Parts: sequence; C-alpha cells; structure tokens
Amino acid sequence: MALIELEHVEVHYGDFKALDGVSCEIDGGSVGLLGPNGAGKSTLMKTLLGFNRASTGSVRLLGHEMPRGALQVRQELGYMPEREVVSPKVSAVSFLTYVGQLFGMVRVDAMERTHEVLNYVGLGEARYRKMETYSTGMLQRVKLAQALIHDPKLLLLDEPTNGLDPDGRLEMLDLIAGIGQRRGVTVVLSSHLLPDVQHVCKRVIMVQHGRVVEDNSIEALTAPRDGQFEVQVHGARASFLDAAEKLGVTCVQQRNELLLLQVPEGGSGEVLFRAAQEAQTQIRHLEPAKSSLAEVFMEAMKTPPTPSDEDAA
Amino acid sequence: MPVYTRSYRNYEGTFRRRGRWMLIVEQELRILVKGKIFQFLCLGAFLHWLLRLFQVVAYDVIMQDPNHPMAAMLQQAKFLTVNETAFFDFLRIQAPMVFLICLLAGSGMICNDVRNNLMEVYFSKPITWRDYALGKLLSLVFVGLGFTALPAIVLVVIHNLLAPGWETLTTTIWWPVEIAAFSLVIVLPFALGILACSAVMQSQNYAGITAFMILVANGVIAALLAGFLQEENYLLLSYPMSLDRIGQAIFHQPNPVFNLGWGWPMAFVAMVCLLCSVIITRVVRRAECAP
Repeated sequence: MALIELEHVEVHYGDFKALDGVSCEIDGGSVGLLGPNGAGKSTLMKTLLGFNRASTGSVRLLGHEMPRGALQVRQELGYMPEREVVSPKVSAVSFLTYVGQLFGMVRVDAMERTHEVLNYVGLGEARYRKMETYSTGMLQRVKLAQALIHDPKLLLLDEPTNGLDPDGRLEMLDLIAGIGQRRGVTVVLSSHLLPDVQHVCKRVIMVQHGRVVEDNSIEALTAPRDGQFEVQVHGARASFLDAAEKLGVTCVQQRNELLLLQVPEGGSGEVLFRAAQEAQTQIRHLEPAKSSLAEVFMEAMKTPPTPSDEDAA
Repeated sequence: MPVYTRSYRNYEGTFRRRGRWMLIVEQELRILVKGKIFQFLCLGAFLHWLLRLFQVVAYDVIMQDPNHPMAAMLQQAKFLTVNETAFFDFLRIQAPMVFLICLLAGSGMICNDVRNNLMEVYFSKPITWRDYALGKLLSLVFVGLGFTALPAIVLVVIHNLLAPGWETLTTTIWWPVEIAAFSLVIVLPFALGILACSAVMQSQNYAGITAFMILVANGVIAALLAGFLQEENYLLLSYPMSLDRIGQAIFHQPNPVFNLGWGWPMAFVAMVCLLCSVIITRVVRRAECAP
C-alpha cells in the first residue's frame, strides 16, 4: 500500500476546477511537485492535508481515507506552509513547545525536542527572541522546525525556499535533502523552482491546469534520448550534414556550434564517424543527447488547458 | 564547541491524547498575562476587590460589634451591608472591566491567527475545530470568571470566616451559585461576541472597535426607542440592561430596570450567544475541513 494514493481527484473552488482528475501514488523517497504558479500544487497539498474536500475521486494517506482520517494522518504528517507563519508575541522555543504539545508530547519532551529541532535547522540564540523580530530566513527555519518536531513519516513542504537568499536557500535545500535521505521519511516538495526540486528529489510530478502532466523519476526524464546525439564538428559542417543525411541521419536542431542529430533506428554513433570521414571533417564533441529537466518541464507545460480553465480565465 | 550535534534525531518519546483545547487555553493565558495592559487592568480589578474586602471587614468586624468606636458611624452607611445586593453591585461594576479585558485578550485571537497564517499550522496538527474554538473561548471565559466569580466567591468565604455561624452560612449558601451564574451570564456572551468580531474582522483593532461600537450603538438605540416611544420595555434591546435585568432576577433585586420577566432578556442573550457561536464555528470550520 502506497503512502499517498490519489485517484481521479477533483477539487473545485466555486466554478473553478483547481484539480482535474489527479491520480498518482507516492511511496517513499523525495518527490517534487513541480508546476507554474496557479497550477494547483498548493491545492493538491491542502487536499492531502484534508483542508480541501475532493468533489470526486479518493485521497488516501498513510492508509487513511481523507478527510475522514485527517486527525490520524496529521499525527504522522509534518506540513510547512507556503506563506509566512509567525506567532509574534512568543519566542520560537515557546511556539515550538506549544506545537509539540499539540501533537500530544508532554511539556518536558516537547521542550527537549524543540531544542533538538532548532539546533538541526540552525536557529541559534535567536530562538529566545520574540518571533516578530525574526528575518524571513529565520521564520522559514521555524516553519521547517514546526513540521519536524514530532518526527513525521510524511513531510509536505510548500515552497520552502520562498524569500530566502542564495546561501539560505542552499542551506534549506541541504536540510530537506538530508531529511529525505533518511529511511522512513517521505518528503513531498512543492515548488515552481526546478533547481530546488532537482536538488532534493528523485522523482517529479509536474502539474499544470490542475492535472498531472508528467510523473516520473528525474533520472528517467533526463535519460539519454534514444538515437539522438549532440555533435560538434570542425571543418565543413554543411558537407558533414550532407554525408550524414545520405546515411539516414536527420538533423533535429542546430544550436550555435552544436548539432542535434537523430541516427536511424538501431544505429549508433558510429554512423556519424562514417559521415565525418566521408565529409573530411573532424568530430570534436559527441555525446548522447539528454533532455534537461527544464526542457522536460517546458514540454510538459505545453499541455493545453481544458475548457473549464479557459472559462475561468 | 557546542555540546549538541546538528543532526536529525528520531523522537523516541510518546504521544498522549488529552484535551488539546486545554493546551490552547494554557497558551493563550500564558501570552495574555505577559501583556502590560492586562496587568494594568488586573490592578484596577484588584483595587475594586480591595474596596469590597474593606466593606466585608467593616460590616463583619466593626458594624457587628456595638462596642466598636466606629460602629455608630458605620451603622448609618447602609451601602456597606454585605448582602446579595452588594455582590450584584460588585459583579455589575466588574462587568465593564471584564468587557475591556475580553476586548484586549479576545479581539485578536482569531483574526491574528488568520493574518499570521497560524490556522494552517494549527490545523495541520491533530486538533479539531472544536478544540480550537473551545480553547479560545474558554481562555476568555476563565479570564472573565477570574475577574468576577472568583473574587466574589472569595469575598463570600471571607464573609463566612469573619462572621462564622449557622445564620451566615444559611444566608450565604446559595450566593456562590448566584455569583457563578451571573458571572457566566456576563462573561460568556462578551467572550462569544468578541470572538465572533475577531473571526469576521481582518485585524485586532477593527475587531475591538467593532465589538465596542456594537455595544455602544445597541445601548443608544434601545435608550432612544424607550425614550421616544415612552416604553421602558424597549430597554430589553440594550445588552447591558438585559444583563442587569438577569442579574436582578438572579440576586432577587427589587425595582427591575424594565417590567418584562427575566426570560425575555435571557432569550435575547441566548440568541446573541447562538449567533456568535454560529459565526465562530463557520469561520473556524472553513479553515479546517476535516470532520
């Protein structure tokens, strides 16, 4: 049984369909939820938490039907919301202790765990100051800490690097990657930033117009494309292309010095060397062509909207 | 070198399921008692209590002793008599203080949580909207009762200690119940009303001003209606007057502020409480969809 199971989930905000038949399964590891702003990532997160009711389809988390089993699920789930969270009149220590108690920890345990988690997220002596004096980076750390305080099995992180400077961002991503590598902790990271997802996750679910448009491991998505090569030649490029064409090779794309070539089915890079030999040119660079995550993302985002999206727009 | 290591450790303690609303009450009270204005209002309420304590001592120690040099003088001061009226007056005078304290403590309770995005955080924990709403409400109710029922009952106890005897005991036996009932009638609607304002407004200031204006406007409208139409029963529509009428009924006071029975103002107060409860419930449940 998967940790998260979504089957044909639809969520509506009035007439607007925010999630449109989302189906996927998540079972361990770090998973990135990728999509542009307004794609439905946060709605999906909130549906997982039980904040939104699915009008059709079913949502199961940790073996519980949502939102009926929300209380049991929330006991084992940590959530870091997208928006800034601050309890202005109290310190991070007091806030986190309170949050720990809400999970059912006794005060002493909650206090001890608070300090452990604050050490982990790197909030130093500032932990004793009122939260209204914190910088955005500190508040992000507190947000992560409150999601970790009860040692959750499932961690839902909504845009965790929002508002962070480059150093803070990297540090936050390292922390999250560290948690994701632990056994028994599943991280679902929602972001519109590809490098964030690539830094932390092994698998990516791309969402657009409330639908899952791509769901695969990053490794598979960026694997070498079948029969495609990136080639750079020195010398007569046109005659090389002519020779290659005669051998059944097609030119897919030309980018500055680089050629993206498709060899015939069953062929290998050898055919390109033959073409170079015939054209009296040198191959300076040859490697199997790979898609970057950005390219896969851009391709996936071309999915046309459904009529309901257009109506809402 | 720090004594801790910066690595993630698993939590090995236990979780227990007890009333989460109690934790919310504790946290709200913890935040509240640190506030300077709250401490100032506490001082005001305490001074009033001290005056009443002086009244109880004067009545029980001086006025009951015919040989006391001040007894003759104090015998003339009928207002010093310790009876149901004294406790009714004490609670009536505490009511505006309770309103101010509830305003201070409660006007930001829900709207600040919404504004600071804390609702999402709280409801991602295993608490229900009932825990949340009950915790917020009870924290205000406990504070309110701390300024009304608690000091008044302490005064009853002191009265019994200073004038021990069967007669005092039988006279005062129901006073704590009456005090608790009237205190609840004062505190609960105030707490619900202010929380409802906090639920529908976006900022603490707006919520506080709205609650205050509703109370003032309500009293003014009722007074104008009663004055223009020459019908004192319209005073029922004034919330403070309705509370007074209920208090008069509970403490068996003569000369009611209007002639209608206590059932009418009680129904009015209950209706306000119900309306406020519905508002609070709707707002809080909207934040937490789980059943």
